[in-house]
Amino acid sequence: MVQLTLPKNSQIRDGKVWPKPEGAANLREYKVYRWSPDDEENPRVDTYYVDADDCGPMILDALVWIKNKIDPTLTFRRSCREGICGSCSMNIDGTNTLACTKGADEVSGAVKVYPLPHMPVVKDLVPDLTVPYAQLSSIQPWLQTVSPEPAKEWEQSREDRAKLDGLYECILCFCCQTSCPSYWWNGERYLGPAVLLQAYRWLIDSRDENTGERLDNLEDPFRLYRCHTIMNCTQACPKGLNPAKAIAEIKKMMVERRV
Amino acid sequence: MARFRTPLAVVRGLGSAREGTEHFWRQRLTAVANVPLVLFFVGLMVALNGASHAQVVATLANPFVTIVMLLALASMLYHMKLGMQVVIEDYVHSEPLRTILIMLNIFFPLVAGLVSAFALLKISFGG
Amino acid sequence: MAMSILHRITGSALYFGTLIIVWWLIAAATSPSHFETVNWVLGSLIGRLVLFGYTWVLMHHMIGGIRHLVWDTGLGLEKSSSTRIAIAMPFISVALTVLIWVVGYMVRGA
Repeated sequence: MVQLTLPKNSQIRDGKVWPKPEGAANLREYKVYRWSPDDEENPRVDTYYVDADDCGPMILDALVWIKNKIDPTLTFRRSCREGICGSCSMNIDGTNTLACTKGADEVSGAVKVYPLPHMPVVKDLVPDLTVPYAQLSSIQPWLQTVSPEPAKEWEQSREDRAKLDGLYECILCFCCQTSCPSYWWNGERYLGPAVLLQAYRWLIDSRDENTGERLDNLEDPFRLYRCHTIMNCTQACPKGLNPAKAIAEIKKMMVERRV
Repeated sequence: MARFRTPLAVVRGLGSAREGTEHFWRQRLTAVANVPLVLFFVGLMVALNGASHAQVVATLANPFVTIVMLLALASMLYHMKLGMQVVIEDYVHSEPLRTILIMLNIFFPLVAGLVSAFALLKISFGG
Repeated sequence: MAMSILHRITGSALYFGTLIIVWWLIAAATSPSHFETVNWVLGSLIGRLVLFGYTWVLMHHMIGGIRHLVWDTGLGLEKSSSTRIAIAMPFISVALTVLIWVVGYMVRGA
């Protein structure tokens, strides 16, 4: 049966309360999930107090501030700090989003920071994304053609190029993927919203000649059809993309070719 | 637990089942059929509420009513079989429980359908 | 999100609730005394509460189902529209349930 409670060695307990910074007028409380593979401990939630006047406005700024000033062992992924690389995706205040584009003023009360849900944890806020990456490569996200290559480029009209808008901009942060209950319960067989969005990106690319085979590979009760239009994905996307719509369009293509 | 299979091998699994759209289509088909049929059924229940046995039998024996009720039951039962199948696939991953539940999910609506159809036809043919 | 799991819960409730319909049909096909027994049970206070609940569950699942059918055409999948539809759903299903029962009582009174 689907596991609705965490196994004993994953159950989260209260953790350390780190000391408040001295002389800070504007304090903000952060409750951050911590777990290390190097000890035998259960995960815990540590409490940090951040001097908001000494720190940038985004949640990522606060995490970096904590790492610099309070606790250097706090571990998280980050790179561009401008919402384009997808590294700092995590669960903030109950929603999957990018830490670098989520303002601390958008959250009220203590800020709860957890790793992306239902993923194996490498350490602290770092999830193991091996399976989602493998799922992405399984849909063959490259142009597939059989015709002889043209002298210059594969041509495409402006209208056809416009169909890729809202799909190519995905930064593979996997906020949507890990917000999907179907992906929680069937993550190894269901491809998930992020991967299906990319599958659709190649399905409607007018230059691609392998649409049939791409659709054949999705013709499966799990790979595509675990999507029950729960719609958490579209709600979660920090880039404003719509995986639910992309998946609905794939389903329409699947019906169109057999009815 | 050491895993020597590549992540791609795990994800590719046993390959695509090459079917899934039929289930999706039939679920939508019965859903569309259900809207007028269920509304008819609800209307019938509202009209027959508090009625005597004789009145109920007379109404159900009407050929139009019998046929629409048969259609309603067929559509509802097939729709619910398809729906519950998805629920079982979603939540139950261990064998043999999964296979047993999938089978029961086929038997239950089938038996319910045959029993109801028999009852309706018995009333309709004046038994 | 809540409407999604509610759609599944109402569907599952309806799955087992069909037993009520089957039971009623068998009773009608068997004999007047069997039918009176079923009628009595369904007409009792608990019986009516169950039927009222079944009506709401049926209406809610139907409204949710129509929402899914609209989504399948590709419409209404934006964040804004889907949120608005989700909020409207419980109001519509409760309204339909109350309407059906009001009409039911009026028919009974006539």
